[in-house]
Amino acid sequence: MECPKNGDGAELIVAYAAGTLDSGDQAAFERHLESCASCRQMAAAQQAVWSALDELSPLPVSSNFDAKLYQRIAEEQQSAFWQRGRWQRWFQAEWSWRPAMPVAAACVVLIVAFLVKNSGPVITQQEQAQPKLQIEQVERALDDMDMLKQAGIEFTLEKITPREQI
Amino acid sequence: MNREGVNTPAAQPSWSARVNSDRAADGSLERDAELMLRVRDGDQASFGLLLEKHRSPVIHFLDRMVQNQAVAEELAQEAFLRVYKSRVRYEPTAKFTTWLFRIATHVALNWIRDGRNEKHQASLDQESPDGTARQVADRSRTAEQELVYQVKLKEVRQAIRNLPAKQKAAVMMHKYQEMEYAQIADVLSCSESAVKSLLFRAYESLRVRLAHMA
Repeated sequence: MECPKNGDGAELIVAYAAGTLDSGDQAAFERHLESCASCRQMAAAQQAVWSALDELSPLPVSSNFDAKLYQRIAEEQQSAFWQRGRWQRWFQAEWSWRPAMPVAAACVVLIVAFLVKNSGPVITQQEQAQPKLQIEQVERALDDMDMLKQAGIEFTLEKITPREQI
Repeated sequence: MNREGVNTPAAQPSWSARVNSDRAADGSLERDAELMLRVRDGDQASFGLLLEKHRSPVIHFLDRMVQNQAVAEELAQEAFLRVYKSRVRYEPTAKFTTWLFRIATHVALNWIRDGRNEKHQASLDQESPDGTARQVADRSRTAEQELVYQVKLKEVRQAIRNLPAKQKAAVMMHKYQEMEYAQIADVLSCSESAVKSLLFRAYESLRVRLAHMA
């Protein structure tokens, strides 16, 4: 076997330490190790690393891990629900009100038709209201004139009476 | 629903049709991917099955990455939450574990990149100067053996802590998850040769630091 240090040595040595070489490659590599001190040293170091990493055993998982996760999921769903627009919620609700859409559309059409139909009389009322306003204004003006007239008469009487008397 | 809390094809014909079409395209669909497709279709019980299966591997991976169990569990919560939130967009284009570990690695690398590990590490070191408090003592060892073991453990932790984050992730997946180079490459979104380079540089560093343990 050619010295793996000259080729894919690192991969071979890592696989040897990990025990993932097939039996043929492992046997060939072990034969090579007997005659190559450099590879022997490197393989021993890699095996030391491999077994040292085995010491890094993690602690058991907290018993409330799942409960906390499901709570977070519920909170996320809740906040996502409120973040969504009101209309979007209605459209996406399980009890979809989509079957009511034709009825709603018909109502809109009826309301529009009613407004269009009644738009004429509204204008007429405005037109009718204008003369009424004018009459009121005229009446008010006449009242004012009466008042002025009365005041004028009194004034005129004061001025004229002596002349008329003459 | 059947005994495992999974909807039967009869209950969800649309799911059945989709899985069959996925199978036809892919040849075979792994069990986890099937479960995830059910989660996508609103089956909460399938999410529970996936959580049950992958909870410990993900937490242990993250624990070794950040070397803090509380933080690891917090990050695992984040990872599983992202899995759940991504369910509507899930497509079984890769192995489920590849997708899951990609999310977990992303979460861990972000945490490390943000420098939060240094703050945590500083507080951990203050709490237990020998860095041994979080490892459960083995009652079968004598006091001397326990001391030697704890020193060794501290060295291993320190050696791993000193690795660059991506090398560390590659070693954790190679050593503890027993992933192939190709799968690690998928998780880290890089080429297989880049993974080999990451791994061999990491093992070289570890050999220099830990060879005396042979």
